[in-house]
Amino acid sequence: MTASTDSAFRFEGRWQEYAPIALTNLLLIIVTLGMYRFWATTRTRHYLWSRTRFIDEPLEWTGTGKELLLGFGFAIALFVVPFVLLQLTAQALAMNGHVGAAGTLTTVAGLVVFFLIGVARFRALRYRLSRTYWHGIRGGSNDNGVGYGFNWAFKTIIGYIPLWLLVPWAMVSLWNERWEAMSFGSQQFRANARVGPVFKRFLLFYLAPFLLVAIGVVVAISFGSRLATMMPGPHVSPGPAIAISIIGFIIAIYALLGLIAVVYYAAFLREAIGRLSLGEVDFHFDARTGQFLKLFLGDVLLVVGTLGIGVMFLTYRHWRFFITHLEATGEVSLSTLSQSTTALPRQGEGLLDALDVGAF
Amino acid sequence: MSEPEHDPGVTGWHYDGRSATRHDVRVVPTGDGFLLASIGIDSGPHRWSDLTALDGTGGRSVYGLKGVEGWRLVFDGRPPDAFAIHLPLPARYGRWIDRIGFTRAAIAFTVIAAGVVALVVSAPEWLAPLVPRSLENRLGDAMAGDVGDRFCRTPQGRAALGRLADELGARDAGVRSIEVVDQPMVNAITMPGGRIVIFQGLLAQARSPDEVAGVLAHEIGHVRHRDTMAGLIRQLGLGVILGGFNGKVAGAVNGVLAMSYTREAERAADAYAIDRLRRAAIAPDDTATFFDRLGGGAAGEKQERALSWINSHPVSAERKAAFARSKVAGTTYHRALAQPDWQALKTMCKADRHVAPPSKLQW
Repeated sequence: MTASTDSAFRFEGRWQEYAPIALTNLLLIIVTLGMYRFWATTRTRHYLWSRTRFIDEPLEWTGTGKELLLGFGFAIALFVVPFVLLQLTAQALAMNGHVGAAGTLTTVAGLVVFFLIGVARFRALRYRLSRTYWHGIRGGSNDNGVGYGFNWAFKTIIGYIPLWLLVPWAMVSLWNERWEAMSFGSQQFRANARVGPVFKRFLLFYLAPFLLVAIGVVVAISFGSRLATMMPGPHVSPGPAIAISIIGFIIAIYALLGLIAVVYYAAFLREAIGRLSLGEVDFHFDARTGQFLKLFLGDVLLVVGTLGIGVMFLTYRHWRFFITHLEATGEVSLSTLSQSTTALPRQGEGLLDALDVGAF
Repeated sequence: MSEPEHDPGVTGWHYDGRSATRHDVRVVPTGDGFLLASIGIDSGPHRWSDLTALDGTGGRSVYGLKGVEGWRLVFDGRPPDAFAIHLPLPARYGRWIDRIGFTRAAIAFTVIAAGVVALVVSAPEWLAPLVPRSLENRLGDAMAGDVGDRFCRTPQGRAALGRLADELGARDAGVRSIEVVDQPMVNAITMPGGRIVIFQGLLAQARSPDEVAGVLAHEIGHVRHRDTMAGLIRQLGLGVILGGFNGKVAGAVNGVLAMSYTREAERAADAYAIDRLRRAAIAPDDTATFFDRLGGGAAGEKQERALSWINSHPVSAERKAAFARSKVAGTTYHRALAQPDWQALKTMCKADRHVAPPSKLQW
């Protein structure tokens, strides 16, 4: 079965169809004091997966709300509670004068959490693949993610040391490591993303301070010239103008850093997904910076325009964006794509949920 | 000779869960079950009761088979009626909601949620007095730790402070210690376990011992009302019920509830202070003027009033008025402390040689 036609992945959802799901989810989440969100996530994924067609069949989400709830409870009991107790102990130690011991304990706890973030990301991807079916076949991984957790913590810290210069290397190599551990059916994913294509865009972050100084100079000059024209009037106070300039400058800092992050991340995803393959199928991702910006601008307008209710549609928008820009070429041999032999994890992405970090 | 099969059965397609190959099949009923017939392979017989309905399938009907991972039977649209009567319905909102029905579930959960929130908001006030003092004391000691060497202590100063505390009913209220700390903050705080800490800045700025008496009486009020214990319980309770939401929502709700609750506690502590000052025949005027300095004059007050709905303390002007109103004409008031006692208290930190230098320890 070939996937070389114009688009192997198609998103066939309509927001009008999704709206009843989103709105009833919101209502039930509120009245159950948040308890329903596990089932809400499940319903959303059921819908999005079933409207995502790969070649001839839609994907199928078989995860349940119950296993997400269990996973969350599990993570809270096993990691969050001990961590809070550890922090309280450290506080008590500090109060009683054992500052060194408290510092050591806090540092160790911090490192453990850092390690757990890596494990959580790995296991969330493994869980999602294991609950995704296509043609009756699912994905998964034989790895439990502990080794990845160590590597994640190690490479991320290495990435920070030389003034963050190795962050792209850390991101790319961790992406490759994580995906190479994943499989779908009898086939292993292969990922060989390279640092070269994304590194130049990352260097823009180092250009930012110079750009900001330039913006600052321009603002100062325009402000100075305006001040000169104001001089004759004795009652004109320069106070508000200065305040506005400072606020504008701070907004400019955030806008610029955000913009560079999008410029970099767009290139990163294109490289990372573009070098990902499964069997004879190669994946591609073609979203450009401008398209990401339009997506995020749309998000903001939607949420503000609906006084926050639009938040419920963000997952839908992001998934549609992701699938619309995802392509696959090559060939799927149905008769040789056999069922996954990986262990089926019993609970969901609880650790990820508890630590409040994203899967990608 | 048997008759040729003229019932072609129901057609759909099937994945066996072992390979990704699609099989077009006919469903052939066999009494309490069915057989999937196709070119090449037959599957079954399977029992109706082993079928599970899978939802969210884009206008198609998809069924799984218990115990066989990835086994699928798919029909375009709704399953044919002859077949459908045997089949379970897919879950919609999640089985536990479906069982009750959406509307009834929504109403029931609204009522339960309102009850839980009301309980958690009101519980600390009536639960805190039920916690044994001894437990709170141990908890407070564990949290505060050993900071003994940072307290200012002289025999004369402590005697003066003790007399003032007795007069304001500290013992009955459950106060276990009152200490002065050499820090410049103009404030006093109550910690769990009946411990009150007065900062040197308050003593240095106070116009008279009456003012210190007012502030101290307010803190004693907090101990009497078990406010710190209530605060701990509230944090715990909110932490539990808001655990279902993500971090930011929980933080915001927690903050707003904590603030509104704290304002009530502050008013109650003020009421206690006013009562004790009256009984001890200490004039409330100087405590009233203390709020002028807190509010920062008329301009500060305006700003404060605008922010009052999120502020933890009632607006200073209101509190000032309450203290000022409590003055009774014709009463003979006496100073909270005689001049030598007041001097001994004020200079306690300077006089105590054993006290550790002011540290950067955060309270």
